[in-house]
Amino acid sequence: MNNSRLKLNLGPQHPSTHGVLRLVLDLNGEKITACEPDVGYLHRGMEKMAEKLSYIQYLPLVDRIDYLAGFFYSELFCRSIENALEIELSNRIKAIRVMLLELNRIASHLLWIGAFLMDLGAVSPFFYAFRERELILQYFEKISGQRMMNNYFVFGGLRHDIFDLDDVEEILRILPEKIIDYENIITENPIFIQRTAQKGILEASDAINYGITGVNLRTSGFNFDLRKTDKLYDGYEFDTVVLENKDSWGRYKARVLEIKESIKIVAQAVANIKTNTIYEATKIKPVNLTIPEGEYCSEIEAPRGLASCFIISDGNKAPYRLKWRTGSYYAVNLLRKLLVGTYINDAIAIAGSLDIILPEVDK
Amino acid sequence: MKANLYDIQNIISNCVLQDDKIVLKSDLHNTIGLIKKNYGFDMLKEIIAIDHQKDGIELMYRLYSTENEEDLVISYTLSTSNEAESVTDIFSSAIADEREIYDLFGVNFLNHEDLKRLYMSENWQGNPLRKDYEQNN
Repeated sequence: MNNSRLKLNLGPQHPSTHGVLRLVLDLNGEKITACEPDVGYLHRGMEKMAEKLSYIQYLPLVDRIDYLAGFFYSELFCRSIENALEIELSNRIKAIRVMLLELNRIASHLLWIGAFLMDLGAVSPFFYAFRERELILQYFEKISGQRMMNNYFVFGGLRHDIFDLDDVEEILRILPEKIIDYENIITENPIFIQRTAQKGILEASDAINYGITGVNLRTSGFNFDLRKTDKLYDGYEFDTVVLENKDSWGRYKARVLEIKESIKIVAQAVANIKTNTIYEATKIKPVNLTIPEGEYCSEIEAPRGLASCFIISDGNKAPYRLKWRTGSYYAVNLLRKLLVGTYINDAIAIAGSLDIILPEVDK
Repeated sequence: MKANLYDIQNIISNCVLQDDKIVLKSDLHNTIGLIKKNYGFDMLKEIIAIDHQKDGIELMYRLYSTENEEDLVISYTLSTSNEAESVTDIFSSAIADEREIYDLFGVNFLNHEDLKRLYMSENWQGNPLRKDYEQNN
């Protein structure tokens, strides 16, 4: 097969492309010589819609930017409005938000673990991961009526107070045992290591140059975690997972370790919710809401890296301009570099390891 | 943060300081290269484009220094030709950002390696995020 050149179209309907990612690969034999990602199959015009809708009309849409981590985008949008109106949240609401965000992060990472293993041909971990994720989604459904696009955060607070904390404690009891199971089954599995170790090596300098953040950057040995400077997470004790692996295997290990850290945070948040018993309903009247003229930017550490919401207001009912920054968008761009020089049978494993989710890319 | 901003403003002659952001008048590409090299702003978080209608399209470069953990915003307003120099040779993440702005705002980035539509189809008329865009196109 020497010097036999081929252009290969991968996706957009390939099950391993996690939605609708199309990659056009130039092959020389089995070696990838160029990769061109093609996105936009899920483009809904999120930023255009923001300019046409009032703030409260837009709020249910923001969960859909990343349907696996909807709470993060709700939080981001609510936070921008709260910053603009200079509203301070009560302790109970902050603790509830932290708890839900971290549960959401766990659910998102669990889905990734299942899907990634499925990409590599291991079917059963998918069912294990979904079994645990289901517990979290059922709790979300109980409190918000929705499994994924929850629309539970509102400007200045929550839709209503939280209940049934016992369910969360039950999740906290079950999850750590299951994580040990994953580690026993997957982490040191020789086939898994062969498929992932030393594959898709990403140096920290390249990652920074390509705007990669989140787990992918931290696995390249670079400590960058917005939660450490985020006011919402003040007083929570957890470690940032930084690994020196730089490869797909490391990215898997980092996510498993991150789940453990998130469990710690959720436990602390539950304790905080129990000590802060006073619930204050939001005082913001959402109908005809306007925010003062100006530029507002807020950032959060989402499961797929740095996410930010930038709003320019001209004092009207809708923002003049709203821009989302999402982690996956830059991860897709990185594929141009990361896949070149690797072999076609590793392409799926490498692309999968970056945790790309397409609604976040296409917006 | 402030001291650093004034420092940059003094050294780079073609800019003014305005509400915590540096407003560039000209020489976009070289200035951003200089800021990255001399001040350690090694990550481009994103490029934000804003259509100010008759005041032109503004590009906001949100830079971040991983070493000093600080942000810097550089603002640059385009002339009516809607052309800007590409910074893809300085920040690879700009490949994605500039393509999106080309698609949604119709800004032409000079020296971009792969400038074409990102979300909309190749034969789409108009640029959706421009304020003069008509939805029925």
